[in-house]
Amino acid sequence: MSGYDLVDIEVTHESADDFLDSLSEDGTDGSHLQSIQAVRLQAGQPDSELRSLKELDENAVKLLEHQVDAAYRALFEMDGKALLADEVGLGKTIEVGMILKEMHFRETDESVLILTPAQLAKQWQAELREKFGLDFVCNYDDEFEDFDAHDYIIASIDTAKSERHRQTVLDRDWDVLVLDEAHYVKNEETDRYDLIDRLSYNYAFFLTATPIQNELTDLYNVVSLLRPGLFGTRDVFHHYFVNSNQETLVNRDELQDRLNKVMIRNRREDTDIDFTDRTIDTRTFDPTPKERELYQAVSDYVKGAYSQDQGQKLVLMLLQKEVVSSPVALKKTIEKRLYDQSELTHADELESILDLIDEIDTVTKQERLLDIVEEARDNVEMGRVIVFTQFRATQQQILDRLASEGYTVHAFHGGHSSSEKEQIVEDFEEEGGILVSTDAMSEGRNLQFCNILVNLDLPWNPMRVEQRIGRVHRIGQKRDVFIFNMALKDTVEEYVLERLYHKIDLFQQSVGELSSILSRLEESGTSFEDEIFERLVAANSEVDLENDFDAVAVDLQEQRELADKLEEFNSGVFEGFDLGESDD
Amino acid sequence: MTDASISVTQSVVEQFTERYLRSIGCSIERSDDHWLVSVPDDIDTEITHGRHTLIRGEGTPDNDDERTKRLHPESAFFQQLLREAGERSPSGKLSIESESDIESPEWIQNSAVEVQGAQFTPYYDRTAIVVLFRVGIETVSEYQQELLRAVAVDTRSEESLPKLAETFLETTTVETETATSGAVQLTKTDVRPLLETARELLLESVQGQLDDIHREASRAADSEVEEYRQMQQQRIQELQEEHSNLSSKIDDLSENISRGDEDSRVQALRERKELKSEYEELDETLNELRERRDSGFPKRQREIRERHSLDVQVTPLTLTEVEYERGEIDFELIDGSIHQTVTLGYGSGIGVADTVRCSSCERELTERNPLQTILDGLKCQSCTKER
Repeated sequence: MSGYDLVDIEVTHESADDFLDSLSEDGTDGSHLQSIQAVRLQAGQPDSELRSLKELDENAVKLLEHQVDAAYRALFEMDGKALLADEVGLGKTIEVGMILKEMHFRETDESVLILTPAQLAKQWQAELREKFGLDFVCNYDDEFEDFDAHDYIIASIDTAKSERHRQTVLDRDWDVLVLDEAHYVKNEETDRYDLIDRLSYNYAFFLTATPIQNELTDLYNVVSLLRPGLFGTRDVFHHYFVNSNQETLVNRDELQDRLNKVMIRNRREDTDIDFTDRTIDTRTFDPTPKERELYQAVSDYVKGAYSQDQGQKLVLMLLQKEVVSSPVALKKTIEKRLYDQSELTHADELESILDLIDEIDTVTKQERLLDIVEEARDNVEMGRVIVFTQFRATQQQILDRLASEGYTVHAFHGGHSSSEKEQIVEDFEEEGGILVSTDAMSEGRNLQFCNILVNLDLPWNPMRVEQRIGRVHRIGQKRDVFIFNMALKDTVEEYVLERLYHKIDLFQQSVGELSSILSRLEESGTSFEDEIFERLVAANSEVDLENDFDAVAVDLQEQRELADKLEEFNSGVFEGFDLGESDD
Repeated sequence: MTDASISVTQSVVEQFTERYLRSIGCSIERSDDHWLVSVPDDIDTEITHGRHTLIRGEGTPDNDDERTKRLHPESAFFQQLLREAGERSPSGKLSIESESDIESPEWIQNSAVEVQGAQFTPYYDRTAIVVLFRVGIETVSEYQQELLRAVAVDTRSEESLPKLAETFLETTTVETETATSGAVQLTKTDVRPLLETARELLLESVQGQLDDIHREASRAADSEVEEYRQMQQQRIQELQEEHSNLSSKIDDLSENISRGDEDSRVQALRERKELKSEYEELDETLNELRERRDSGFPKRQREIRERHSLDVQVTPLTLTEVEYERGEIDFELIDGSIHQTVTLGYGSGIGVADTVRCSSCERELTERNPLQTILDGLKCQSCTKER
């Protein structure tokens, strides 16, 4: 099939008579320069299309029509200042990713600052890198120096407004500012509002699913940061758009027209997003007497050590998590502690824990894991299952065990280079079998070809759980998804699962809902993991512990209800608004 | 070779439109979202004379009328304006001033040696032509592609001056409001051979793109030929089946003829005759098809390949006589405490014209093999590394 030379090329040279005839004419009036410019413009493309779209890796990111449309409008119809206010779960981050990619392509992004709630910063960083190939430094990275040392920064808004950094942030002229969860700057009297108000930038994209938190003034404040003057003064806004008796909107059409210049709001019902069902199967197992003994010993040790020295919190928390993951993970940490630190108190207690570990010959969770993967091997396409664990030692042991049982296995952890990671995912897709992964499997990895996920151990941070599930249960997943949670009876995991996650229906949240709940929690200053740990070590009895976890669950539930109410409220306010193009 | 087209943004549209309209004698009153334009009757332009409203950007009105027009990158009015401006003065003259920034060659830019000063001494004026060519490439399987390319040729030596073409593009963006100009000195007779050289240089420069498109077109033609071949093969098989069906029907009839009574024999004979002629026709078609297949369907192949051929149209759109200066440049180089002055042939707009070699190993100094040290002559990176 080499007919390459058989297709002819015919070159025709058009006559040059036109300008040969004009050679002698006097061109002193500058019209020749204009002719050159006109010819060059005629050959040029209208500069208002998303030219970076074809640069994107289709495997890394699947773009939806409403997202492309939003990015286009924000860039070209709103002159690069927009409030992206899609309902939750429609992919506002993707829209911003596209906008930033396009600006990068057009070289209008010399300095970009993305401000997010603290716990979403790393997730933003991973998504932008993996889906759009955009490299940002996060203020939690070791390499982060200060706000004047890097050109592409993702930072928690509270770090940016802190005394240490504030001036540096303000001294710089930013090309692009992205503000996630923009409703947190609704109050004009806060430091956050002040920071954004004083920041100098050319383009800004604010994101929120709920532009209105309490009252319509919130909308005024957020929009005025983006487009000062769009709504006139605060008083004018109030008089003109708000019926002060009932706090409802008047002059809706006029408000819609003005909002149309700055705000994009897609509604779920208007998009073609459809998620498949999620089935949760939580399996709790009786630990063997030896495992129970080990769990008790570790818990006692953690409690005792923490009451004496709260500085060791992180490592104690680690031990408490490892004991339910696998004895081998626990062993590694304890040995490291024993041999690395000469002045260790309670060394004898740790030694005896090591002895208990050595006595364990059956690891219940690993045995039961075999039931699940065997079931999958018989019933699922290529027997594909993803098993998540938090610890590398556990991961290795499971890999060895599964391999010895004749399963095809793949390992995925943070130690791989990104090209290796890609290869692993590819192999898993092609060869099937079991992928055992740590939480290094972050946003952006496409695993919709698999629909069974096992949580061998459970992170205490629900966001992590959601991230794991999000790897398989995402736009593009065509089958129902099955999640297996494994926990040992009467352990912290059972509490976290039964008391917390199930009570708030964590596993049934719609995608994106959780991050809005958790950013609300963060707003109230709570770290979820700390909360769980504190309650665990402080409880005097099992009844205490149960009550404590119930209290946390109530908190979460409240936040969830608040988030739901807000969504409802915003839907209500914007109902009847056609906030898309009005030409159809 | 650099793309000579300019991206058409709204601000560029407005900048160019305003300057052009004013230059031909129109007046403009600007307000926020529209302009009022007056076109005096005595101006030679295709734009309707009188007063107009130009609406900035897209949106209403949906249709232009005589007096209200939209102004945006794709608006009919702007396109009309570009056509007119483009044809108004396709030839002319520009000067590249010697004051324009002096650019040191890449083999110095990429080295650790610093340039402390540079002094250009022009010795003589030179002339070049820069031609903007539109290259249209068309084939059935690909979208039509249009390229705009600038080619610069020295009028005396006919050497290609790619750097000058780049400088030309840099100095003729929409941001440039005026450029020193004057009447073209060159005559038709001077220009014709230069234009020929420019055309050759142009084709060389777009060869890579042509090859890519050619390859795609060939692939498309090949697959069409293959598709046709398969279709014919399938047809041959169908005909063969029909052929053998007919043959067995004829056999059956022959048996009936030898067995049945007279009426049915006559009937069978008649039928057999019809079938036989059908059979022969089929036989002929089949043989013909097989023959064509065995020779590779030459006629069809030719048709397909002709249809896929690439049609390249080269149209010169503007010709600019460019004056530039040639002479020598002194670069004062400094490396730590060592100073050295290097004198090189140089031209305004074309940069350093000399090839410089390493004083130790004689390798050419380039972007990839930059200057490493100026201690005892100019020494390149490769030979210093080897030591």
